[in-house]
Amino acid sequence: MDMVLTLILLPIIASILLLMLPNQRAQYVVITAVLFFLGIGAFSLYTSMGLLTFQLSHTMNLAIVAADVLLLLFFLYQGRVFNHPKVMALAAVQLVLYGYIELIAPESGSAEIMVDSLSKFMFLIINGVGGIIVLYSVKYMEDEPASPLKKRLFVGGLLVFLSVMNLIVIANSILLFFFLFEMTTLASYLLIAFRDDDVSRANALKALWMNQIGGVVILLGALVAIIGFKTVMFDTLLQSSGGMVLFSIALLSMAALVKGASIPFEGWLLGAMVAPTPVSAMLHSATMVKIAPYLILKLAPALAVSMVGGIISIIGALVFVAASYLALSRSVLKEILGYSTVALLGLMMALAAIGSEESMNLAMALMLFHALSKALLFLSAGVLERLHHAKDIEDMKGMVTRSPKTVGFILFGFVSLTLPPFGLFMGKLFAISSIAALLKEHPSNLIILLSLIVGSALMVLLYFKVASALLSAPSDIRASEAIAIPNGFNVPLVLLSFFIVIGALGYIMLQHNIFVVLLALPMLFVFALPTLIRRMDRYDRSQPYHCGEKESFNAALVYYEPSLKLQRILYWGFGSLFVAVAIVGALS
Amino acid sequence: MIWVWIALAPILGGLVYGGERVLRARMQRRQGPPILQPFYDMFKLLDKRTLIVHAPHALLAVAHFFVLWFSVAAIFLGWNLLYIIFLHLFAQLLLILAGYSVRSVYSHIGSNRELLMVVAYEPILILVAVGLYLVSGSFEVSQILKSGGYLTQLPLLFAALLMIVPIKVKKSPFDVGEAHQEIVGGVEIEYSGVFYEFLYMSRFLEYIFIYSFIYLFGGESHWLGALLVAGVFLLVNLVDNATARVRPAQMVKIIYTVAMALAVFNLAGVLL
Repeated sequence: MDMVLTLILLPIIASILLLMLPNQRAQYVVITAVLFFLGIGAFSLYTSMGLLTFQLSHTMNLAIVAADVLLLLFFLYQGRVFNHPKVMALAAVQLVLYGYIELIAPESGSAEIMVDSLSKFMFLIINGVGGIIVLYSVKYMEDEPASPLKKRLFVGGLLVFLSVMNLIVIANSILLFFFLFEMTTLASYLLIAFRDDDVSRANALKALWMNQIGGVVILLGALVAIIGFKTVMFDTLLQSSGGMVLFSIALLSMAALVKGASIPFEGWLLGAMVAPTPVSAMLHSATMVKIAPYLILKLAPALAVSMVGGIISIIGALVFVAASYLALSRSVLKEILGYSTVALLGLMMALAAIGSEESMNLAMALMLFHALSKALLFLSAGVLERLHHAKDIEDMKGMVTRSPKTVGFILFGFVSLTLPPFGLFMGKLFAISSIAALLKEHPSNLIILLSLIVGSALMVLLYFKVASALLSAPSDIRASEAIAIPNGFNVPLVLLSFFIVIGALGYIMLQHNIFVVLLALPMLFVFALPTLIRRMDRYDRSQPYHCGEKESFNAALVYYEPSLKLQRILYWGFGSLFVAVAIVGALS
Repeated sequence: MIWVWIALAPILGGLVYGGERVLRARMQRRQGPPILQPFYDMFKLLDKRTLIVHAPHALLAVAHFFVLWFSVAAIFLGWNLLYIIFLHLFAQLLLILAGYSVRSVYSHIGSNRELLMVVAYEPILILVAVGLYLVSGSFEVSQILKSGGYLTQLPLLFAALLMIVPIKVKKSPFDVGEAHQEIVGGVEIEYSGVFYEFLYMSRFLEYIFIYSFIYLFGGESHWLGALLVAGVFLLVNLVDNATARVRPAQMVKIIYTVAMALAVFNLAGVLL
């Protein structure tokens, strides 16, 4: 338990320290130390066995209630200040519901805090990837037009967010989970609004009201659990059977769909891309949105082979295809990455909701490798934004001559998402065979299988379309000097790449299958090729062929814009599926 | 013995390619080149001066060839069909990256089209693997070849596979990748001499790769497999001579609607 407490308290202490340290070198020392200890803590917990539980004292519970009410009042206030009726209405609904629930909530129950193997796995993602992103953010914020105090608040805020995340994955009480869920919503809201211009504010408010829908459904789920089973604990609820249990579970899973920005809620996550890049990397791809698959995994024992689980996995799978397709119409790199995050979260939820042991393990593996690869991609996008002021892939044409190393990191990120032997690819590969094995018993899984296959193909198109922009160079630009990446950016990127490779190796070894190991051979060969074939100097160089035309090379990028009608169908379709989750839950 | 076949795979593919040129010529009532013409071409290429644009571009062609060979070897060794498909995808992506890495319009168009081709046929290949798995109970090629009856149970899936064969062997109506020199060779344009040689041999391997999938539908009966390959070989060339090329976007649309529907319909039929 001490170790868990360290994971929760250390980031908070460090953030207070950071606020008092104006010196950048000192900040780096603090953050490196924190990263080191969090990493060790998370890893030793991961390798440890057993279930840890912890009962909160009465005063602590009261403090949480007070904090929760304050939080909801703050949302209400923000809604009033910015005159946003949806934010106000949802905050008010939550206040009423929350007040009522606290009145009727049973006093005693099992422990509020429970550290199981899933939580330990989440610690690994949160502290490992999250820590690296905090390390990166120091350098990133250096050029941000904001006061020094605000910058330090930003980095400190990211650290505090880590401890919120560490807490949310061990919450066993639905009400505690609700409080922390709202805390992550608050973090989203404040960090998206960080730059405080019109667009940021509008998008922050959008994130706020959409995420509050998640809060409302969690409260409704808790209400059903209290009325039906006199409990607010996840473990008791999951052990109960019959009656309204699936209704409660369905409502809770709907919160996952909201937090995971599944269509029709993907708007808030895309809007979040106006925030500084470390925020996009940390909250909106590597850690916070992982609450979605985490929650489904937590509920999986009840979801497995139920209608609710079936519909959630179908929604997730369809989101995987739809979001990959919608991404093809975008040109801002971070939005493309955002869409692909939405898509992959859908896939993870689909796998988690199938609920077989194998598919749940696959969902977890995808979570880890996705966090690593997407953090790498987002942070690289941040480097391009800072050093080359390029956000749009149209402006990134020929980036390889200007920033070969960053482009290398991005290409590596794409490759790690699509090709053997990297973890995410392996996860998809095993998912295909695992779902195929389930087909005979559950033919409805054919939808999931088909979505997985088509979505993966669309993603290949998406990533390599971006690669084509990075690699092609318009000739009217003289090959300018490449700008070196400063160490503050380089170290986190190298660390992430290193962990992607280590993770892939570990995952391959875990399979105990010689053929899987052999899948890594081609990649090794490709990386070794430049050293195998030396003396490329003996071949003469030539200019590309231009058919006798005067060179005016500007490679066009392909976009696929869905028609308005199709978009409307998509939104209405996914919207009604979302509602259908609750209806199916209520009926079963 | 199997290693000998693996080593000879490019030569085998070369013979198929040469044979195809003869066959197509005869269909058009031409004399056509000798069957060994692809190999004569290769010797000719070796004599040429090699010009490259830059080293990574040239090396990616070499990598493409060897990874493709690896995936063909995996078929001969009876591996998991999914691994084979993804190794092949890997090889294809290396070629696509090579195409993107030079500042040539034609090379870029070629890569864009190669990418679209991958997007079109990849799902069908995986669905074929899943279909064979559902009937035989295994993804392993060696196991699939031990039972049979695929053609009777998976006729529509076989039709879907037939539709993507022209994409892989670059034949009408889906020869979008190079479009008979209309886009000046596409990805291949910036290669010459020994490095072009690797791309040229890759084409031979593609023949072996895609016709292996046809052969799988024969199951345990080698005769049926061989017959299927010969039949499809004839059919593809006949269709090539008789149809016009479609646009790349149309190709994706046709595959995603017709072929995908056929495959899914068949799979659903097997399951229910």
